[in-house]
Amino acid sequence: MKKIQHIHPVIALLMTALLVFTVSCERDFDELEPAGFPTTPEVFIDGFSAGLAYAAFGGSNVTAFAVDEEVKYAGTSSMRFAVPDAGDPEGAYAGGVYYTAEGRDLSGYDALTFWAKASKSATIDLVGFGNDLKDSKYLAYLQGLKINTNWKKYIIPIPEASRLTEEKGMFYYSEGPEDGLGYTFWIDELKFEKLGTLAHKRPIIFNGEDAVESTVNGIRIPLTGTSFIFNMPNGIDQTVYTSSAYFNFTSSNATVATIDSTGMVSVLSEGTSVITAKSGDVDAGGSLTINSAGDFTHAPEPTIPAERVISIFSDAYSNVPVDFYNGYWEPYQTTLSADFKVNDDNVLNYTNFNFVGIQFTSPPIDASNTDTLHMDVWIPNAVTAADKLSVTIVDMGADGALDGNDPSISYEIPGPLTSQTWISVDISISALSSKSRLAQIILENLSTSLSGFYLDNIYLYGSAGGTTEGPSEAAPAPPAREAGDVVSIYSDIYTNLEGTDYPDWGQVTVLSGTTVADDNTLKLANLDYQGIQLAASQDITGMEYLHLDFWTENSSSLNVYLISSGPVEKAYALTVPTSGWSGVDIPLSDFSPVDLADLIQLKFDGNGDIYLDNIYFYTAGGGGGGNGTCEDPTEAPPAPTEDAADVISVFSDAYTDIANTNFNPGWGQTTIVTTESIGTGSSLKYDNFNFQGTNLGGADGVDQDLSSMEYLHIDMWTCDATVVEVTPISRTTGEKLVSLAPINTGQWNSYDIPLSDFSGVSMADIFQLKFDCQAGNNPSKIFIDNIYFYTTGGGGGGGGGTTTGPATAAPTPPVRDAGNVVSIYSDAYTNIAVDNFDAGWCGGAAVTGVTIEGNNTLKKNAGIDCHGIDFSSNRQDLSSFTHIHFDFYTDDTDLTGDVFNVKLVDFAGGAGEASALEVNINTGTTPGIVAGTWVTVDIDITSLGGIVTNNLTRSDIAQIGITTANLTNVWYDNIYLYK
Amino acid sequence: MKSHNVTITKGILLFAALLILAACGDNTELEDRSYEMVWQDEFDTDGALDGSKWVYDLGGGGWGNNELQTYTNNPLNVRKEDGSLLITAINTGGSFTSARIKTMGKFDQAYGRFEARIKLPWGPGIWPAFWLLGADIETNPWPACGEIDIMEYRGQEPNMIHGSVHGPGYSGGAAITKSYGFPNDRFDVDYHLFAVEWGEDFIQYFVDDVLYQEIQPGDLTGDWVFDHPFFIILNVAVGGDYVGFPTEDTPFPQTMYIDYVRVYEEVN
Repeated sequence: MKKIQHIHPVIALLMTALLVFTVSCERDFDELEPAGFPTTPEVFIDGFSAGLAYAAFGGSNVTAFAVDEEVKYAGTSSMRFAVPDAGDPEGAYAGGVYYTAEGRDLSGYDALTFWAKASKSATIDLVGFGNDLKDSKYLAYLQGLKINTNWKKYIIPIPEASRLTEEKGMFYYSEGPEDGLGYTFWIDELKFEKLGTLAHKRPIIFNGEDAVESTVNGIRIPLTGTSFIFNMPNGIDQTVYTSSAYFNFTSSNATVATIDSTGMVSVLSEGTSVITAKSGDVDAGGSLTINSAGDFTHAPEPTIPAERVISIFSDAYSNVPVDFYNGYWEPYQTTLSADFKVNDDNVLNYTNFNFVGIQFTSPPIDASNTDTLHMDVWIPNAVTAADKLSVTIVDMGADGALDGNDPSISYEIPGPLTSQTWISVDISISALSSKSRLAQIILENLSTSLSGFYLDNIYLYGSAGGTTEGPSEAAPAPPAREAGDVVSIYSDIYTNLEGTDYPDWGQVTVLSGTTVADDNTLKLANLDYQGIQLAASQDITGMEYLHLDFWTENSSSLNVYLISSGPVEKAYALTVPTSGWSGVDIPLSDFSPVDLADLIQLKFDGNGDIYLDNIYFYTAGGGGGGNGTCEDPTEAPPAPTEDAADVISVFSDAYTDIANTNFNPGWGQTTIVTTESIGTGSSLKYDNFNFQGTNLGGADGVDQDLSSMEYLHIDMWTCDATVVEVTPISRTTGEKLVSLAPINTGQWNSYDIPLSDFSGVSMADIFQLKFDCQAGNNPSKIFIDNIYFYTTGGGGGGGGGTTTGPATAAPTPPVRDAGNVVSIYSDAYTNIAVDNFDAGWCGGAAVTGVTIEGNNTLKKNAGIDCHGIDFSSNRQDLSSFTHIHFDFYTDDTDLTGDVFNVKLVDFAGGAGEASALEVNINTGTTPGIVAGTWVTVDIDITSLGGIVTNNLTRSDIAQIGITTANLTNVWYDNIYLYK
Repeated sequence: MKSHNVTITKGILLFAALLILAACGDNTELEDRSYEMVWQDEFDTDGALDGSKWVYDLGGGGWGNNELQTYTNNPLNVRKEDGSLLITAINTGGSFTSARIKTMGKFDQAYGRFEARIKLPWGPGIWPAFWLLGADIETNPWPACGEIDIMEYRGQEPNMIHGSVHGPGYSGGAAITKSYGFPNDRFDVDYHLFAVEWGEDFIQYFVDDVLYQEIQPGDLTGDWVFDHPFFIILNVAVGGDYVGFPTEDTPFPQTMYIDYVRVYEEVN
């Protein structure tokens, strides 16, 4: 038999090269055929195509994606995406990447196509390709893909296929809950195609605008707004958003400004340059004209002595910890940051400015010893007399929380503003009613033409000679140590753990950050106690000592605690008061039995006013200790807190359990089941555990109707189990194992599993439970406790709560043609897409979705007086709609002053409210507010009068506002317009 | 005008399915016919239309189909530029202007080959057409005068055109019609040649010289009225019963580009 010789493609290329050189010395490498990559078009047809892998995005629900063999468009299976509910502890959204290890040559295709449908009408946030989990150079994606319950083909045009000769990013997606609720969508027949029916490609940069930027040398400006518009096979234009790599950029004057391949513009010298782009041969719409005025002028050097300054942003002083210099507050903030550094001078640079917040809450600033906020502002572009900029300084106030009800002062920088010069602003904060917990500076654009500014030297300072409290000198600086020898909580010398929080546990203590001689220092005023919450559990078994510096004149008691999970805590008493700064180095063994492998918190308690600095763990060097040994629990898990009326309990000390449950039916398991007394209660112990069943309510199990429940709660402790799964078992539909994850060994783990995770298992006839560890370490030993099903309430009536709500659903609206209804919220009609169903106009989420007799209903959240529904990107011309309908229910006993107000906000083609049509209901109107029954409002809006007021214009309705001021409890439903 | 003889050779006759999206029918050689060009407009000079050849239809009112546009003779809506005639539909805040031109009273002919090379506009609700109407329409009202639609197109289906005849008993929605579509291309990207060849007992429809429909008297559900002179119409309508209405996603302005219109008589 003849031996077949395989030639690796790279070798083949080399051989070709040799051959070419042999026959012709004039040819160059450019003419050589490159080794090709596979042109495989399939991504997912009935399974993963060759080489395809999946990775879920961080923070997403990692189990959102699954292959579905029951629902499919064609073939044998489809891709199923289970979008979680808002706040799902396993991940609040669905998202991930399908990629290949070896690139594919996609240059012969013009689109990625797929079929999709969903369990309800929905808008997928993002679908695209080009994300390879590494460089993701050639990203291309659609935003806001509308899907519904019917299979439909979707097309993502490839912006410029010739670039995709080695692409690894086959597909990626991201989708969150819709109005807080999860749902499911399916994708099938996902593949690259050459359609030939995509036309009229229009590349775009800077969103198609010819932007002008007045600037100076050294500034960097990011390219933004890159996309392509294609005309689709249905004649409709579609925007594909992309990375900048699809474009070739040109600077008309490279001595003034250059742009690199990533789209970052660097301003080099005085003059004008226009940045333009092409994709292939096609000129991109949009440009950026750079007008550089020359060298950057640094802000004036601060002159206030450092000991009188608390600095938020400057290169002259040490800055206090700052959460962020741009909070990107959604949804209304447009401001971007393009901060830069010229000659070691860091400068904040806000572009596309409407408002922006700088926040410093960990800890907030004690500005008691200061009276003035300083900042330097530079406006690069021309200003008009109307341009105004305001500064608001916010203190957390007595409640220690930023809650929209905080002491603040606003200051408008005196005009007229001037451009291209540093404007130094000194704002008195003396009038601020509380300034011991400053937490935010908010800058707001009070005009429309101010596009941005630079900001430098933001600091608070006090007058010379002012009385100061506390230490006059900084705590001694700690010695230099190897990074591996220190775990630092709070110091200016070492790198501190990120994300450390100083939580509000109800203490009286006022905690703040201050500076002492330009050294950041923590101040605990009027101490009772104060916790320090680490962002993640820390293993400090490699450390030997806790160091801290403290200073107090008036304390008579001060303890420091370490706390591990459980919680397990141990105090160490510090000697107070001090004479100047005291430093201690406490051996960590003094904190036994705290688990040093699992340090989660620190705590101080005592009295007086304390200053603290240099809180860190360290080792003098040398080996660390061994791992702690994991032992059986000695304390009971935390007691459950759910209202007994909302619970059906299997095993707990807190609730009445289902009677006659058999906790050890013989299913052939190896497990030995015992009940152990642990701490204050008893727990189930599964020793030699492989799997274990429980028959509910009787020796052989009695059906339990759990359909009104939402979660299964379990507390578990183990030292050796790696995977533990649980399922309720339905008599008719069987079981579905769900993992208890994550498992932290040697501590109680608390799990609340949404019953929806047990998909396919009917909750109406649960008669057994099963635990199983066979997917991991087997056999193992676990302790379990507080096994119960519960609901978060809102469901059926009953309960002795103060709020019972309507016992019946709102009346079902009549059947109407879809074209005759625009529904905002109802189960009867298809609701329109909205940008934000609960826009937080009155300080927080206004409503909670509840189910009444199976009907979705909105319930007002306590204390939030208005509900904003924003659909400004899906505005409705309601001119031809003649009636508005809504139903509401209140159980308030005192209806005095109660008003239920619904407002249709018309934008008249603009960006904000131009007029509004309002419907006002109170006890004197017809219909009027009546307690204890559904009130149906179904009113003609073609003329003013009665309850219809204000303005009838409704050709460009972008928002609906529902104001429920004075109503304590109100439910509402069926908000729609019809004709 | 100097006339010259041409022989137009067609390669292939496709026995078309109702909608041809792939060449899958039987192939037959077509007979060659010799034609002499008798009328043409090449649109080679920029500016306004040649008034000796064309007249404008002006105004609105829906044109019997609930169309939205108002026809004008404004150069923004109709002009010659770079060797083509441009008919442009413009959206001014939800009211639409466009143009419709015809050879009525200037030129008409029975039988022969009528052709135009056209690049089409696109977008939902855009309805361009190249068509013929019986020259006796003022004394013999539509549909009795007859209508031959050489090319009609819906902007939401940019890969498909339609050829039809209307007459007594087969007008409006009951017209005799067939469609021709590209599987991997569109009519709004490049120019394509749309033609009919019309004899005493047949009308053949061509796209780029591919025959996709032949209508004979026996195919009709009424009388054959294609026995007298017809004149030529070119227009871009916006909205209407045939095409549906433009949406907020329809890009405007939209332009139909006509490279030339030529008419031939058959010679032996």
